[in-house]
Order: sequence, then C-alpha cells, then structure tokens
Amino acid sequence: MFDLEKSIGEWCKQMLAAGIQTPVPLEELEIHLREEIERQMKSGLNEQRAFEISIQRIGQPKMLDREFKKSERSFMKQILKIGAGIIGVLVGMAFIMPAAAQCRHEGAMAKDEVVLYTFGMAMCFAGALLVLQSFKRRKA
Amino acid sequence: MIRKELVAASAEPLILSLLAKGESYGYAIIQEVKARSDGKLQWTDGMLYPVLHRMEHRGLIKSRWGESETRRKRKYYSLKKDGKTAMAKHHEQWSLVHSVLAGLRKEKYV
Repeated sequence: MFDLEKSIGEWCKQMLAAGIQTPVPLEELEIHLREEIERQMKSGLNEQRAFEISIQRIGQPKMLDREFKKSERSFMKQILKIGAGIIGVLVGMAFIMPAAAQCRHEGAMAKDEVVLYTFGMAMCFAGALLVLQSFKRRKA
Repeated sequence: MIRKELVAASAEPLILSLLAKGESYGYAIIQEVKARSDGKLQWTDGMLYPVLHRMEHRGLIKSRWGESETRRKRKYYSLKKDGKTAMAKHHEQWSLVHSVLAGLRKEKYV
C-alpha cells in the first residue's frame, strides 16, 4: 500500500543525502512538491502516480544540488572580495595616517614615510576598487 | 519545445517581469510561465529555486515566508529596485535581438 507521507519523507532524505541544505532550500522544494502532487491528484491521478510525476518534474537531487552550490559559491566569492577590499582599505589607512600625522607635525615627510604613504594610498585605492567592482558585478 | 539554452537564458527576465506584477512564489511562477507559453517554455521545476536564490543574493529580488489561503507555508519573492533596473536592461536587450531577427526575416521574404 502506497504511503504518500512516507514517500515524501524518503524523497527528503534523498535530497539531504545529495547535499541539499535544510531548512532552506529543502523546505521550499518540499512545499513545491506537495503543491504539484495536489494538482496532479486534482487532475485525476492516484497518490502514487501523482508523487512519481511530481518528483520527476522537480528534478534529480544531484543536479539540483549542483545548481544550488553554484549559486552559493558565487555569493561566497563576492562576500570574500568585499571583505578583502575592506581589509585593503583599512591596511592602507594604517599606513597613511601615521605618515600624514608626521607631515602635519614636522611640515614635511621623510623619504621612508613618502614610500609608506604612497603604499597606503595604493592599498586604499585597490581595496575600494575591489569593493566597488564586487557590488557592480553582484548586480550585473 | 524550446531549447534548454534559450529556456535558461530567458529565466531571469521572465522571473523579473512576473515579479514586476506583484510578489509571487516558486510554484506560481512556474505555472504562469507554462500557461503563458502554452506549455512550450518548461523548466525542470526544482531548477527555478537556485535561480531565485542567485537573484536574491545579487540583490535583484527579496523574499519573505508567508502563508497561503489554505494556511500552507510559502516563500514569497518580490522585486527590488535593482531588479527593476535589471528588468529594463533585459527588455531592452531582448527587444533588440527580436527586432534584428524580425528585420532579417522580413528581408528574406521581401
């Protein structure tokens, strides 16, 4: 005797085994599956046939997991780039501030400080550029 | 049936355009695309969700958990400001492709 709830439970286990994260997106997929089963049953199919067709329509667990992972990877990459950019700006500022303070205090910068100041400016610029590019790419 | 490459490329503009009419959820989006294309544009149902999540990560759409009229839990998606801008760009680009194709087709039959 076909048990719909048991079969949905088994399907969820297969999704988890393939790597689909819980609660989201597994919960979202399960809600979708239940709506599709309901629609198939309204069109006249029995529980078992409705379940079989619906899981086919949702797709293979491995294939879905691959797509979700792709989306997570690109998100993580953006976050890392933004983080690296912010660190770059902060490190740059750490070089600029003492050199600028020295200049204000003594009216001029020593050769070493000019090098540090320039390096700091370059770090700030590169960091800010990385952050801006990451935001731009996020929306593209 | 439409080729899968074209189905994949059209997913984002279609989702954005559907959400421009108001918030919706995965199952309804799939059903509406099927209905509007007479069943010719068909996604593997589950593949819609990674696309939705990717668009959410990119700040084009946002989501909230809610309940259906039958008290079933649902995740609703809606358009954000950047999504509207992206949709306008998609429309511009797809219109351009369409007009080039239509022009070439017309020339062929003149």
